[in-house]
Amino acid sequence: MSTVLTEADVAALCVAKVVDARGTGCPGPLLEAKKAMAGIAVGDVIELWSSDPQTKADVAAWAGKVGHGFLGAVAAQGYDRVLVRRAR
Amino acid sequence: MAETQKLVIMVTHGPAEPELASIPFSMAGGALASDVDVVMGFQGDGCLLVKKGVADTVAAPGFTPLRELLPTIQELGGKILVCSPCCKSRGLTEADLLDGAEIVAAGRFVAEITSATNSLTY
Repeated sequence: MSTVLTEADVAALCVAKVVDARGTGCPGPLLEAKKAMAGIAVGDVIELWSSDPQTKADVAAWAGKVGHGFLGAVAAQGYDRVLVRRAR
Repeated sequence: MAETQKLVIMVTHGPAEPELASIPFSMAGGALASDVDVVMGFQGDGCLLVKKGVADTVAAPGFTPLRELLPTIQELGGKILVCSPCCKSRGLTEADLLDGAEIVAAGRFVAEITSATNSLTY
């Protein structure tokens, strides 16, 4: 799957939890993602909202480091919706 | 299973320099989110950042304010070590510092740094 998702891609993912980290500065979105992962089951997906354009790349690097699945992101109005699957 | 990694982050800038004071906390947050153990070492004016109430006043554009980051770092297991002579010269005792902060001397810092995967100094 490409890192640029469509609305249809997101709809097909069955997101378990939406985390609104808009307006938070570095490393707020990453910390919110970590906290959210603790609250979902392995295999489930979180959708992280961030107004920081660097978050997509940061979350992709973080997911690779800790062993989760970075699924990609879709642009919304003034923010990105970043999708990550809990893998462990 | 992968071996636990540890990052030691030395902080030498105080509240007078909000960006240089914020960067090490941001790195600590990123490391803890990435399952890397973190030890923060405060020396010089960096010690002032862990004096009770001071973190509430430190914020730099683009960074999460210290009043939010510091409790999260402690909650995620980040250790806070503070230089003993630096505290002494500033009239700080453990009672003046945040709960969980530990005053230590050079030997402890050296032990933490030499057992770490890597260290950063700000």
